[in-house]
Amino acid sequence: MMSAEPDASATDLPIEVESPRFGAISYTQSEIIRFPWGLPGFTSLRNWLALTLESQPSYIWLQSLDDLKVAIPTANPYHLFEDYDPKLPSYAAAALDIHSPSDFTLLSVLVVTAAAAEMTINLMAPIVINVHTWRARQVLLENSAYSVRTPVPRKAVQEEAASSAI
Amino acid sequence: MLVLSRKMNQSIMIGDNVRIVVVSVDRDQVKLGIEAPREVPVHRSEIYEEIQRANRTAASSASSGSSTPPVAGGPTRAKLEPRKKDTPRP
Repeated sequence: MMSAEPDASATDLPIEVESPRFGAISYTQSEIIRFPWGLPGFTSLRNWLALTLESQPSYIWLQSLDDLKVAIPTANPYHLFEDYDPKLPSYAAAALDIHSPSDFTLLSVLVVTAAAAEMTINLMAPIVINVHTWRARQVLLENSAYSVRTPVPRKAVQEEAASSAI
Repeated sequence: MLVLSRKMNQSIMIGDNVRIVVVSVDRDQVKLGIEAPREVPVHRSEIYEEIQRANRTAASSASSGSSTPPVAGGPTRAKLEPRKKDTPRP
């Protein structure tokens, strides 16, 4: 190799995988969100992508790269609940090297049931993502009043999607 | 599971950094003190298990595929940004 530059290009080559939910996905190393502790229920799954579909812009899918069968629907809790501003436990800041509100964003896990018009969102255990390092952890707000299954009318998600498209 | 008997004020070391102390014992309730590094989460088991169940339910309802419209176009990377508190509302 005669190039004087470090071989950074090799780590940014697109990787192709086939996911049962999304079909063919192409991604680069820099797009991987690393969960060093996995997630409760999926503690061995450490590498994830955050994906959206144009048809469902309010859903952010966490697609596991370690087990392609696993994809978890989430949403931005701030968009659905304007006043949601939880105090993060100290282990969140320590684990993810977070020092200010501009260091992180939150995603909340959605449980979508086929039949009902409603879905629920987990406001008690947000996923905290450091937007500089792209490391993440789900944190439990154990002593808060937030519920694991907070109802979200499905209509609200569609309206939020419509307004964000304007 | 390792089972140890402790009396009031006795403690247990887990690894090098976590200590559990029996603070008080009152009939059917034990008060435990936990000393752990700041980055170690400590939660009541039933809360942790509830989150486990919710995550697993969320993932399995997704894989059934029947709850959301069929996937049309391919997925794109989601835009994740910190909350901007001073952003004016539309």
